[in-house]
Amino acid sequence: MRRNPPIAGEAEAIAKAQAGDAASFEILYSLHKRRVYSLCLRMLGNVAEAEDLTQEAFLQLYRKIGTFRGDSAFSTWLHRLAVNVVLMHLRKKGLPQVSLEETLEPSQEDGPRKDIGERDLILSGSIDRVALERAVENLPPGYRLVFVLHDVEGYEHNEIADMLSCSIGNSKSQLHKARMKLRDLLRSGQRKESIA
Amino acid sequence: MSNTRDPQDGTSMNCAEFQESIPELFESGANVSKEAHLLGCENCAALVRDLEYIASQAKLLLPIHDPSPTVWDNIQSAIRTGIDDKSAAPSGKRP
Repeated sequence: MRRNPPIAGEAEAIAKAQAGDAASFEILYSLHKRRVYSLCLRMLGNVAEAEDLTQEAFLQLYRKIGTFRGDSAFSTWLHRLAVNVVLMHLRKKGLPQVSLEETLEPSQEDGPRKDIGERDLILSGSIDRVALERAVENLPPGYRLVFVLHDVEGYEHNEIADMLSCSIGNSKSQLHKARMKLRDLLRSGQRKESIA
Repeated sequence: MSNTRDPQDGTSMNCAEFQESIPELFESGANVSKEAHLLGCENCAALVRDLEYIASQAKLLLPIHDPSPTVWDNIQSAIRTGIDDKSAAPSGKRP
């Protein structure tokens, strides 16, 4: 995991929130709401669900904050809690891409095609964050989950395999397909722009 | 479509075979751009450049979205009405 630098005032807020101080819990919410919500939104691709699960993640935090012992950074711990909330939600919904390894694969139609013998548009240096965000939103759910966890959030394949109950090889394969699909999406966006 | 010979073991690798090997190459941490196949195949070289670029840009996607104020209102409300009563926790429920 990355992106977990110490945050000024966080340690004090954690200690006070563990002792039941409501104002300190609100401080923790303010410090981490954006990151937790962005994670939920990227994993789910749906604003209403992302808000519900952000809410659920912080309620779980409220229940469990007393168990935080500081073995890892608080943000890492909270982040993992939020990922688990989202995955639990997806499993309850019965989405096969997080419960059955063999069905983690999107259909052939969804999959990236092999890029053999075709001269490419070059993406390097030409895509902006907004275009990439939009392309990520348009990934099939199984691809998006692995891509967000690995490339955006920095989880390792062994952690993802553990979270999604799939093999490490499957996680790697999904990530590659996700990147290929993103490339297709970004290139088709570029083509549309050049035509317009 | 290109066929290149791997200088390590003398075997040739076509584009399909090379592209099959990309996930493992990326995960190995090796400098993929130095792969023998890419020396003679601009198409696969462009593919590798793009995939590396996408992975590098993804790391720069910062959290940019804020939840609506309703989320905190709901959290406060749930806490007030008793977090220990699981039925009070508004998981998946919107007012």
